[in-house]
Amino acid sequence: MAALIEARDLTKKYGAHMALDRANLNVEAGRIVGLIGPNGAGKTTALRAILGLTNYEGHLSVLGREPLRDRTELMTECCFIADVAVLPSWLRVDQAIDFVAGVHPRFRRDRAVAFLAKTQITGKRRMRELSKGMKTQVHLALTMAIDAKLLVLDEPTLGLDILARRAFYDALVNDYMDETRTILITTHQVEEVENLLTDIIFIDKGRIVMDTSLEDVATRFAAVAVTADRLDAARAEKPFYERHILGKVVLYFENADPGKLGSFGEIHTPSVSDLFVAKLSGAAA
Amino acid sequence: MNKSMNNSAWLIRREFWENRAIWMIPAVFGALLLLAALFGQVSIPRLTSPKESEEAATAFLGAVGIMFYVVMGVYSSWYLLDCLYADRKDRSILFWKSLPISDANSVLCKLLIGMIIVPLVYFAAADATALIAAFILSIRARASIGSSLWNGDVWWQMQVLWMYAIVTTAVWYLPVAGWLMLVSASAKRAVMLWAVLPPLLLYILERVFLGTHRVGEIIGRRLTGLPSVSFNGSKYNWTHEGGFVDNASSAAPSVWHLINPSGFFTSTEVWIGAAIGIALIVAAIQLRMRRSEI
Repeated sequence: MAALIEARDLTKKYGAHMALDRANLNVEAGRIVGLIGPNGAGKTTALRAILGLTNYEGHLSVLGREPLRDRTELMTECCFIADVAVLPSWLRVDQAIDFVAGVHPRFRRDRAVAFLAKTQITGKRRMRELSKGMKTQVHLALTMAIDAKLLVLDEPTLGLDILARRAFYDALVNDYMDETRTILITTHQVEEVENLLTDIIFIDKGRIVMDTSLEDVATRFAAVAVTADRLDAARAEKPFYERHILGKVVLYFENADPGKLGSFGEIHTPSVSDLFVAKLSGAAA
Repeated sequence: MNKSMNNSAWLIRREFWENRAIWMIPAVFGALLLLAALFGQVSIPRLTSPKESEEAATAFLGAVGIMFYVVMGVYSSWYLLDCLYADRKDRSILFWKSLPISDANSVLCKLLIGMIIVPLVYFAAADATALIAAFILSIRARASIGSSLWNGDVWWQMQVLWMYAIVTTAVWYLPVAGWLMLVSASAKRAVMLWAVLPPLLLYILERVFLGTHRVGEIIGRRLTGLPSVSFNGSKYNWTHEGGFVDNASSAAPSVWHLINPSGFFTSTEVWIGAAIGIALIVAAIQLRMRRSEI
């Protein structure tokens, strides 16, 4: 299947600072992709470029369109939540629904209303009267009611408490996700999304550090809790990262022979967050 | 085309949701004028001749109209300066931009609100206020002058004058509106300072280094020159009551003699200004579209 998002040599400079440095990425239809990186890695800049919110250098195509030039058309098929609580304080919930229903050809009002009916939020409330978590629910209701090919979420739960974050992702999983959806999500709270994702892209200092599907993670990467006597032998296999926990040493390997690794200690597949730390610290070392 | 018409209707409705001051300020201002008409110390001269009563009606409607026009000018300027900045300040631009509405559509609707729709609201408010105030004052003056304060002919002339003033104001002040919107689309904070300081700085630099006053003259002319271009200014004087008096006949002139559309719409000064205004608005649209930081 053709890529929904295709970026080649995507570059964005702020003065001398390279927010994006020749980044390449592909997002295919039906995938749920996490764009993961530390603060200032270029996640938000990449999403802004993908959504047509900023200019850039390099080649970028989203749903076959050039985002900056064709943002208006792009937004009929792609929707996004960039940042938390950006619904304006003066807006009433029913006005928000009316407005989106008025301007968006793919908006399904009944879906938004049904979603909000499950919450405590009523139509006459203004955004300024709602908590941050409730505002996020309203925004999610508006966004999920759009029949979009691509949903982009940029730190959608930043600054929310754990209840609101859980409610957000539960709604996303239960009411939105199916095999026709493609979702691109950035967050630095990796644990929260790792069981939703089908693909992960690590980004650091404006560059794509890793781009892989989660199925591949299991075959490509291994973490081994190495016993002390085998440490030197294990290190000879060139782990890319070492972690010392409670007197044990965990070594991270990429594309190593599992038969060999088994003799060093217990093998497991690293979690996305472990891999993230390993990859980024490894790259820095 | 149909789509952008539909979007425009929603965008305009949205501006009314956001800026309730669009109708609240003229409503409150009108109510205050009506309170003054009800309880104020008004001495109404005994009007004997039809000419006197026509003059009184002209002065009355003119005064109400000018007061609303001035408030409208202040509000519209503030609106245009704030309209693009407000979305960026509260970051709600990230929501509006997630909808399939072009930036040109959004910016032009805000321009339409500031230059045409707000003036029309003030026009309606001025009319309603004048109607009710004339009624109140007539009763207070024991009805003898009621019919003359409400002179139908003068009223019609005032409608023409308002419509003419709205159109000429929109065209004449287009460069000012464009500048305010450009500042609104670009300034990170302190829009008021950004609107005033650059022209002021240009003015001072020119004075200091060249010793000339061209910048000041151009700006001053643009801010205050509208009446002399849009009206047959030389033939008539503004009287202290706010009406117009024909110097030659000293009769209140017909509005058709007062307005000067052929002069206004053939003035190069008007169209040069409008062209600059359009350029500034295009720049504001481009900024809203491409600006990297919010």
